[in-house]
Amino acid sequence: MLASSEIDIKVPSSLPPVLEVTNGWKSFGHVDALRDVSLSAYPGETLAILGDNGAGKSTLVKVLAGVHNLDAGELRINGRTVDRTSPLLARRQGISTVFQDLAVIETLDIAANMFLGQQIRRGWIFANRRRMFTEAAESLAALGVRVPSVRAQLGELSGGQRQGVAIARAVREDNPIVLMDEPTAALGVRETAHVGKIIRELKRRGKCVILVSHDLEFVFEFSDRLLVLRLGRVQGLRSTGSANQQEVVAMITGLAGDYEAKG
Amino acid sequence: MIVGMPEPTTIESSLPTHSKIAAGETRLPALRRIALSPSLALALTIGIFVLYGLTQTSSFASGAVWINIVRDASFTAIIASFEAIVIIGGGLDLSVGSVFAAGAMVSAALANQGLSPLIAFAGGTMAGAGVGLVNGLIVNYFSIPAIIVTLGTMFGVSSLVVHFSQGQPIAPLPSSFSYIGQNDLFGVPYIIYVAVVIAVIAYLLLHATTLGWNIRALGANREAARSSGIRVRALSISLYVYCGAAAAFAGALEAARLGAGSPDFGTGLELTVIAAAIIGGTSIYGGLRTIPGAALGSLLLSVLATGLILLNIDPTLQDLATGIVLILAAGLDQVRRRQMFRTSARRARAAENP
Repeated sequence: MLASSEIDIKVPSSLPPVLEVTNGWKSFGHVDALRDVSLSAYPGETLAILGDNGAGKSTLVKVLAGVHNLDAGELRINGRTVDRTSPLLARRQGISTVFQDLAVIETLDIAANMFLGQQIRRGWIFANRRRMFTEAAESLAALGVRVPSVRAQLGELSGGQRQGVAIARAVREDNPIVLMDEPTAALGVRETAHVGKIIRELKRRGKCVILVSHDLEFVFEFSDRLLVLRLGRVQGLRSTGSANQQEVVAMITGLAGDYEAKG
Repeated sequence: MIVGMPEPTTIESSLPTHSKIAAGETRLPALRRIALSPSLALALTIGIFVLYGLTQTSSFASGAVWINIVRDASFTAIIASFEAIVIIGGGLDLSVGSVFAAGAMVSAALANQGLSPLIAFAGGTMAGAGVGLVNGLIVNYFSIPAIIVTLGTMFGVSSLVVHFSQGQPIAPLPSSFSYIGQNDLFGVPYIIYVAVVIAVIAYLLLHATTLGWNIRALGANREAARSSGIRVRALSISLYVYCGAAAAFAGALEAARLGAGSPDFGTGLELTVIAAAIIGGTSIYGGLRTIPGAALGSLLLSVLATGLILLNIDPTLQDLATGIVLILAAGLDQVRRRQMFRTSARRARAAENP
């Protein structure tokens, strides 16, 4: 049984964890994508999740985002156990997700994308486009995302602008947990720094940011703790401030860590 | 915490100001948008054809001819409006021709039994909605492509209609049932008013309601729609239900117009309906919308059908004309998509690097 070494890991908050996974398992056919994964995340911190391809990052993201249910184990949001979930429920229960593919619609305009699945209504069934335009523009402006107009189609935008729209959508939902899957994968240096600033701002507002990324440099700059997955298991958990980049790389590749794979 | 970048107090303070996220700006310059709109191209095509027709024969100026043209287009337009919605939602319904016959036969049978016209129309429409439900359930729960599923139900429904009717038409129908199909208001058949109302309902559904935005999201990117919390299965199923209901209702209307229901109603209608939707600018790739286009597409096909006869052109060539128009319309859709993205990609870059 793995015992995460808690020695050098200071819990970043005196508040109770806002997100907890306890002994989570998830299999697809014969493949165990998540094996006995446990983690906790706290308000006002950024928890990075690292791992090589096939480590279970994507599966964990999908579990947290409500796309998959755990086969065994427990998922708790704000202390409440989540039994069955869906993307809609996950969002209502407190997790906003910025998906790696952004889950945006290229043929719709920015405002429609920002309010996808949660439009503002006018009367019984009608869409209140005017308010959506105004609020979308405000949300984007507050995050410093520059777009030609909120009526512009998403397909027109650059990668950075699209990422900005997807993040602004998640932030606008004002949930306690913001899950970002590879938010900088498609971005240049300037946009990446911008995403980092947004992450800091979210932390300042007391949000819990879960950051799934390949980008070690980015993770070291913007996370508080980092969790390494390998072959579906938790390979280790470290405080970013005291972690050593070589050791983290070794954990990712399986050369170091708390869990020693047997064969 | 790693230093090197000053911790901003707020994001706003640390970023350059960006005054110009205007909420009111339009997407493309208005003139260009109109020039690229399929509805304009259609209206022009119809106009040019009619102008040419007027130089050849005076029949083109006859009011009675136009009433006929528009009435014929009405049936196609009722179905095409909802076929367009299915296509915009990323699906396809090939069963509308068979469902048209089923709607006609069920409502004719009910009317023939002496039931009230309201019940007869409702019964026929419900039968169509039922077929739509079957289509939607199979497409969404068994992941069989819509083109296959609805081809299957097209055969199945057609066969059931012939089986239960023994291939015989149902007549006579009470005049209370036929009333709406055979009478005019201010010289215009009720059928045309009904088609306009239904097209307007479809238009509002797609353009003004939150449901319409969900439908467009579903058709353009089902996975993204699902991740965003849209209940994609239920939504997709409902579109087939609407389409089936519309097709069956149109069938009932046809039975009322002719005073009889016949099992061979609607033969080949599915292709006309899909052609009308696509000619009207519905993109077969899903996502792009246009209901007025579907109605205009129906009108164009109807104008061509009657017009070629008036011009003494061999009516067997009518389908050739339809085919050419269809391919031209799909070509226009391609140009339109490319244009849309190109123009605005330029503007997006400009906004990013002021």
